[in-house]
Amino acid sequence: MDNYQVNRIKEASYGHSIIPPCQAACPLHMEIGEYVDLVAQGKVMEALQVIRDGNPFPSICAYVCTHPCEDACRRSQVDEPIAIRALKRFAVEFGGDRMIELEAVTTQSEKVAVVGSGPAGLACAYYLRKLGYPVTIFEAYSEPGGMLRVGIPQYRLPREVVDTEVQRLTHMGVEIKTNTRVVSLDLLFDMAYKAVFITVGAHQGLRMGIEGEDSPGVIDGATFLREVNLGLKPSLGDRVGVVGGGNVAIDAARAAVRLGAHKVSIIYRRSREEMPASPSEIEQALEEGIETMFLVTPIRVKRENGHLNVTCVKMELGEPDADGRRRPIPIKGSEFNTEFDTLITAIGQAPQLSEDFRLRIGRGSTIQVDPVTLTTNRAGVFAGGDAVTGPATVTQALASGRQAAFRIDDYLQHRYPLADTGEKKSSLGELSPKTIEMIKKIERLEPPFLPPEARVNEFTTVELIYDWQSAVNEARRCLRCGMGAEILFQDKCATCLTCLRVCPYHVPYIDDAGSIQIPAEQCQACGICVAECPAKAIVLRKPYDRRHIDEELEHALKSAAESKSKPLIIGFCCQYGLFGTGALASLWREGKAGIWIVPILCVAKLEEVHILRAFEMGAEGVFIAGCGEQCSRENTAFWVLQRVEKVRKVLAQIGLEPQRLQTFNLRIAEADAAEALDNFTEQIGGLYLNSIIKQEVRT
Amino acid sequence: MIVAEQKPVEEIRQVIAPYERVLLLGCGTCVTVCGAGGEHEVSFLHSALQVAQARSGDGIHSFLEYTVKRQCDFEFLDLLTDKVKEVDAILSLGCGIGVQVVAERFSDIPVLPGVNTSFMGMAKEWGVWDERCAACGDCRLADTAGICPITRCTKGILNGPCAGTKNGKCEANKDMDCAWILIYKRLERLQQLEKMRRYYPPRNFRVIPRPRRIVKKADVKVGKDNG
Ligand SMILES: Cc1cc2nc3c(=O)[nH]c(=O)nc-3n(C[C@H](O)[C@H](O)[C@H](O)COP(=O)(O)OP(=O)(O)OC[C@H]3O[C@@H](n4cnc5c(N)ncnc54)[C@H](O)[C@@H]3O)c2cc1C
Ligand code: SF4
Ligand code: SF4
Ligand code: SF4
Repeated sequence: MDNYQVNRIKEASYGHSIIPPCQAACPLHMEIGEYVDLVAQGKVMEALQVIRDGNPFPSICAYVCTHPCEDACRRSQVDEPIAIRALKRFAVEFGGDRMIELEAVTTQSEKVAVVGSGPAGLACAYYLRKLGYPVTIFEAYSEPGGMLRVGIPQYRLPREVVDTEVQRLTHMGVEIKTNTRVVSLDLLFDMAYKAVFITVGAHQGLRMGIEGEDSPGVIDGATFLREVNLGLKPSLGDRVGVVGGGNVAIDAARAAVRLGAHKVSIIYRRSREEMPASPSEIEQALEEGIETMFLVTPIRVKRENGHLNVTCVKMELGEPDADGRRRPIPIKGSEFNTEFDTLITAIGQAPQLSEDFRLRIGRGSTIQVDPVTLTTNRAGVFAGGDAVTGPATVTQALASGRQAAFRIDDYLQHRYPLADTGEKKSSLGELSPKTIEMIKKIERLEPPFLPPEARVNEFTTVELIYDWQSAVNEARRCLRCGMGAEILFQDKCATCLTCLRVCPYHVPYIDDAGSIQIPAEQCQACGICVAECPAKAIVLRKPYDRRHIDEELEHALKSAAESKSKPLIIGFCCQYGLFGTGALASLWREGKAGIWIVPILCVAKLEEVHILRAFEMGAEGVFIAGCGEQCSRENTAFWVLQRVEKVRKVLAQIGLEPQRLQTFNLRIAEADAAEALDNFTEQIGGLYLNSIIKQEVRT
Repeated sequence: MIVAEQKPVEEIRQVIAPYERVLLLGCGTCVTVCGAGGEHEVSFLHSALQVAQARSGDGIHSFLEYTVKRQCDFEFLDLLTDKVKEVDAILSLGCGIGVQVVAERFSDIPVLPGVNTSFMGMAKEWGVWDERCAACGDCRLADTAGICPITRCTKGILNGPCAGTKNGKCEANKDMDCAWILIYKRLERLQQLEKMRRYYPPRNFRVIPRPRRIVKKADVKVGKDNG
């Protein structure tokens, strides 16, 4: 690349990166596209690094996150969303998260108290420690973790995972005082804490308000799960009814199955479509033999002969209410009786706050805060998590804990809060039908699950982890939203229409003014136009183009120059899909010849100049190894072959045998690929010998 | 648009042989569009020359790359003034016009052509270009249904087709459409077949003396009493 271009690329700011919808939807705004792409390259440790940068407790989210990112994923316009959470779990397990140790040093003098050790409290403590503050967490229960410990059942979140994260925090210097219920905030300020973060969660089960609700045998879901999680084995009897349609109801029902109840029924006043619980949880519950009673609600409970006689009424769905779900209406005269031994009510929870906190309370007994600063009505007191939002999710709690840490820092440093309006939006619109049509449909790969028979008797983890190949293949489905092509130099564009003609996805178009536009929301970042643009006016928003290849190539050439093995062969090899670690890498390791691999993020981005550069620097042979029809993008092989032909023509003019440049398909059976490469190496060896002999004859 | 093709590397090597420092000069207009001499092709040629030099062991050239918006206008070339001082020759990848304009602008340095300027034409599809106009200076397209017999008929005849037409193709090249059959068919569609029945006399080459010049500006005198 000439200096002129380098300088202009440097001058151009890259501050205009586009937030993909997955990242916008994540409460923590994690760089999902980034780590999914790293998994697709098999770079699992790097992926974990990206994950850790954006999430204080990725191992926990890897198990239980409700993954709003997947709901937002644009791949669902093509087929199904990327399995983002499962990929995170893979990266956490295979990237060695267990080995990671965190340190923090105290650089500030102001002590901060955190009330509640749920995810919000833990996250706040984590970031405050990173900022150098001494932090103490106060927890009412005997174990830290909040709902991670006393809510979510073990079969979905192994306790060791929570333990590890808590240990790391302690290692960072966070003090955790368990069995300590805070009853007064004044006391904390008396103890010289300069700021307090309240994250007491929402643990108080909501009452149904029906006759007989307080009978023995009726228990609320949160309390029931807490008992189970703290190791008590509540006796339930044979028949258990669970009222509610959310995740707590499903968890309670599944826990009841594991405690030995024979018949567990979920009673929900709407139908399955309206259930707020996640569809996969519902599916798994049904697999485990849990029954459902839809459009039913209990109206009376009577305890008789040690059983519960529950009167229910049938419902029908009326007009949609404020949140868009259809309102259930009782059907007159449809009452019926049914018997249970235990009735678990899981219709929601609210925070339980001590009067002495003197905090302003709002709707649903939640604490009122300023959404940006998280400050309450009391100076120095901040609040977040479920206690502010009502029952929400782990990631929302983590995000609020992180936000609190930074706002507490602002407060303690007497800084005007550095406006973090929080809301991040993705500017990417819908994919157009003609683009969707060209995108390869690739089935979503789910991680394996324990079979239902194996899981109902115990609390062992239900979801297993991907193997390497599946994880990599799943990650390769990502559309790389917002990483695509952009005309960086409109003034250089000659409106030649090459990009418009070569794009497999019909993305570039001519606007009303006659200029070329490449709409970011359609581009699939295949890089073909970038390599073909005769004016070199296009770059990728993520520099996987010539900038990346130049760098990798120079790196390989440098290593090659240091090594003495001859003849030198340069292989440009697709970095996606683990191919670089298969047949090729073993050949390379065995040092069959001086083969040097230049990893490319799809060979469609390789340009003629890179191939020529390899020859210039003494390569006797060059090969390009792509993944054939497994490529997640279109037309890659066609463009590679076009460029190969162009280079071969020049090689011939220079007097170099065109067969010094070959292409391979790594998709073919490993042995075949190895054999093809062997033949190539041999051939190059022959050409090399000939040239040496010729040279000697000449001299 | 002007369509050109890069010269073979060995030919370029011969012409630059006497010069040590060479500026490879691209043009951002027609030759960019036809993929012969834009910034991308300048880099490609640069790399190819480097390989040739490294592999043959002869050649001591150093190259500079630069691409201007348009070589056929002096003003765009002003940017080159400093660069030109650092080189011994310029290899222009502009069309023949570009080469000459650069030569005229920088009179003390050799300017060499890096492409063969081939024709005026259009892109049929990606990677395929076709000639369409010979710049004859006496356009007859009104009579020939918008299809130019001068460029598209092998013989350039004005009263075709000749006896060599067969199944709509030309006897000189069986893959090439006979221009006069195309003209006939299009006139038929336009219901103007009477134009086929006329005789067109040979063109008068005296109206197009070379070198040609077009003067659009009127020869006016600004005086005290006008304007
Ligand atoms: C059964 C169940 C399943 C769930 N499943 C999921 C899921 O799969 N995915 C997901 O994202 N979310 C899930 N959630 C929701 C998620 O667990 C919560 O949104 C999240 O834990 C809220 O975090 P928090 O820190 O605000 O509060 P909590 O986790 O509730 O923690 C609050 C802590 O404060 C302590 N505390 C309360 N008062 C005091 C006091 N006065 N002094 C000291 N300590 C006090 C409590 O003991 C508790 O430990 C689930 C919730 C439940 C109940
Ligand atoms: S396709 Fe990839 S980048 Fe796009 S929304 Fe889905 S995960 Fe995010
Ligand atoms: S390929 Fe490059 S020069 Fe051609 S229209 Fe597209 S951006 Fe412009
Ligand atoms: S990078 Fe690929 S998908 Fe995007 S505009 Fe260019 S050719 Fe089309």
